[in-house]
Amino acid sequence: MGFFVLRALQRSRTPLSRLLSPQNPTFQSRWITSTTDLHKPEASAAAASEAPRPEIPPPRTPVGGARVHISSPEDAIEVFVDGYPVKIPKGMTVLQACEVAGVDIPRFCYHSRLSIAGNCRMCLVEVEKSPKPVASCAMPALPGMKIKTNTPVAKKAREGVMEFLLMNHPLDCPICDQGGECDLQDQSMAFGSDRGRFTEMKRSVVDKNLGPLVKTVMTRCIQCTRCVRFATEVAGVQDLGMLGRGSGEEIGTYVEKLMTSELSGNVIDICPVGALTSKPFAFKARNWEMKGTETIDVTDAVGSNIRVDSRGPEVMRVVPRLNEDINEEWISDKTRFFYDGLKRQRLNDPMIRGPDGRFKSVSWRDALAVVAEVMHQVKPEEIVGIAGQLSDAESMIALKDFLNKMGSNNVLCEGNGIHPHADLRSNFLLNTNIGGLERADVFLLVGSQPRIEAPMVNARIRKTVRATHAKVAYIGPPTDLNYDHQHLGEGPQTLLEIAEGRHPFCSTLLSAKNPAIIIGAGIFERNDRDAIFAAVETIAKHSKAIRPDWNGFNVLLLNAAQAAALDLGLIPESKNCIGSAKFLYLMGADDVNLEGVSNDAFVLYQGHHGDRSVYRANIIFPSSAFTEKEGTYENTEGCAQQTVPAVPTVGDARDDWKIVRALSEVAGSCLPYDSLAAIRARIRAVAPNLLSTDEREPATVSADVKPEFQYNMSMSGFKSAVENFYMTDSISRASKIMAQCSASLLKK
Amino acid sequence: MASVVKGVVKAIREKGIRNFFNVLIEDGYANCLLDGNLLQTKIHSIGGKLVGVDQFGNKYYEKIENTQYGRHRWVEYGDKSRYNASQVPPEWHGWLHFITDHTGDELLMLKPKRYGVAHKQNYSGAGDEYIYHSKGHALNPGQRDWTRYQPWQPTKT
Repeated sequence: MGFFVLRALQRSRTPLSRLLSPQNPTFQSRWITSTTDLHKPEASAAAASEAPRPEIPPPRTPVGGARVHISSPEDAIEVFVDGYPVKIPKGMTVLQACEVAGVDIPRFCYHSRLSIAGNCRMCLVEVEKSPKPVASCAMPALPGMKIKTNTPVAKKAREGVMEFLLMNHPLDCPICDQGGECDLQDQSMAFGSDRGRFTEMKRSVVDKNLGPLVKTVMTRCIQCTRCVRFATEVAGVQDLGMLGRGSGEEIGTYVEKLMTSELSGNVIDICPVGALTSKPFAFKARNWEMKGTETIDVTDAVGSNIRVDSRGPEVMRVVPRLNEDINEEWISDKTRFFYDGLKRQRLNDPMIRGPDGRFKSVSWRDALAVVAEVMHQVKPEEIVGIAGQLSDAESMIALKDFLNKMGSNNVLCEGNGIHPHADLRSNFLLNTNIGGLERADVFLLVGSQPRIEAPMVNARIRKTVRATHAKVAYIGPPTDLNYDHQHLGEGPQTLLEIAEGRHPFCSTLLSAKNPAIIIGAGIFERNDRDAIFAAVETIAKHSKAIRPDWNGFNVLLLNAAQAAALDLGLIPESKNCIGSAKFLYLMGADDVNLEGVSNDAFVLYQGHHGDRSVYRANIIFPSSAFTEKEGTYENTEGCAQQTVPAVPTVGDARDDWKIVRALSEVAGSCLPYDSLAAIRARIRAVAPNLLSTDEREPATVSADVKPEFQYNMSMSGFKSAVENFYMTDSISRASKIMAQCSASLLKK
Repeated sequence: MASVVKGVVKAIREKGIRNFFNVLIEDGYANCLLDGNLLQTKIHSIGGKLVGVDQFGNKYYEKIENTQYGRHRWVEYGDKSRYNASQVPPEWHGWLHFITDHTGDELLMLKPKRYGVAHKQNYSGAGDEYIYHSKGHALNPGQRDWTRYQPWQPTKT
């Protein structure tokens, strides 16, 4: 046996000497050893005393990109982790110090974004002059502390804790959905004992029903309470809790109740074992079978960073990706579970509505020819293009260029209203970026319900409210925000009072250091939007919300396409363009009101789902969804990000911009770009910020250069912009899971 | 050897030469020409005591004397051409593998009447319907009506 190992090592390409040398950090920290001889205390004590004093190992790279930010030098303290000195700020825990030193401490209950519970005991380390091993996640690091993570005492402590954790854990990894990405599985491989001594009966716990999204197998729970802390701290719902004591301890919802949070899916990610898993994903795939594609989410204007896991041509699940500036490591339930809509109601063939009112599949060649012919028959100003809420910047610029070439200047994006202001970027962006909201101390939400419009922004506001007790005031229809807030009023009346300084809230606003005013994009659809914006700008001016170092004037957009559409100048020429249109080019526009469209208008619907607008369409062009194409999206704070194709597209569908490009050629006014690179070069000429991906491009000109106007304001109250959080776009409306959610979670 | 010849002569005399050859073929002596295992079993069976025959026609022999210990119980399968160990029913399995000294005929009464299922040999590899295809396999029955996506059906509006 040894001979074969030796032979294999000699033959392997990597130099063995390098692998075994002490300079290789991974080898040292990851080496899995069985410490059976340490089961006996005498043997372990002997091993500890006999062990030669280790030399100081070379510095290691911090775990997971852990960063230290030391504000002032007197706040820094020095601790020794395995003999290696690290400088950390005061108040850090031992575990964080170890992370900075590059030592990964095993843990279950500790999560960097949640409060510290210290109940799993997996992170025990040895600290010199401490009689017992200490739980490093809950122990503040003190100056000069000598932390030892690799000693027999620490190893034995971990092994013992692991044995206790596995005592009541069912050994059902083969049928567990977490298998392969389970913390308990990994850590018991790395730190656990190689044999069990447990012969008693295991306990079992009744499964809880947490709704259509989260599947529970409560016997697997190790009582780390991460989900309880997540629900109360981040999601802001008091649904989950710990019941009982000792071995009768279990996680539950005190009474039979579903988990009614828009962030509930995140408990699946933070659960270190398979107790909370995804219900729609149950028994569908194993994590090693899937290909991960790092892309972004388009269900709301936040542009959460996600990883689309696909197996073959199917999207199997969506999980979040870390982005501190946008979504931290959470995503909303809609983002996580709407993917099954990608498989249903798909448009896969070009279709023409015949004279009998039925759709018939045709070839692309015929369909394009028909559309080109119709386009030449109508007057140029009667051609109107509407980009949908899921459109990417490439297809929107192609649509705009094409319609401009045909002589029309009526291109708009749904959700932006009929007469949007795109001149000043600060008028439609979240100017305090999402991460910057954490510095605000007073929030004024005007007609915006961030909890259902952009849950990730809402999570930030909640985080700020929890951390700094920032005050939140809200103007709009009664809603359920999951943090303390003051409901000032329902409509522009209250807004006027604040603007004129007559409202009691003004004093709070004026005394605020960093006030953040957030206007909902639902106001774009109102006729008096200019008046409301003027009022809000007055408030911002009075409360000094717009300063060189702080811009508290924010617009919270609703859709993924909105910001890019305004950057690209998708603004209709005439206000009543939809009513007078004879040729309507709907590029995925399903939420636009088509009632005003005249009956003899020719409607072209180009999209990926048979949703609302196909029923009015005369011709259908199938296009690819966001998981199937490469596209640029700008989120509400002005950060351009790109999607990456994860799965092949369906049927005869094509990318949106390619369809527009092909149509332009058939129509005789060929667009000058044939590739994504060429179309991006065109975008560079219009809105270069869309090409600097993953970088936030702040608005340079502030809003106060606008001339002052007196507008008429209607006194009707603000309406909620999103009626059903789970169904806002064509994909989520096609999704079965989202339908279940809105059936079971929205009824109150 | 003499007893074998004596037995053969006796059998020919009783059944006639034609029937004798029919019985030979039925008992698989013809297969012995190509199948060494069967031939070996036949030779081994000479002098063995026939303990029982089960419902599938498997013959169970025992020979205590002049046999290596551990080879003193054996089976001659009823199916002479495609035989395998899974053809031994559970009641005989224990006897054959020296788990018990009770023969299968004795143990048959222990078989549960209401829910006991008839023994079935393992058909793995014997044909498409007996091959297990995993969940993602194209030949898995659950996979047969799998579609990548469900297209939108145009309805008359």
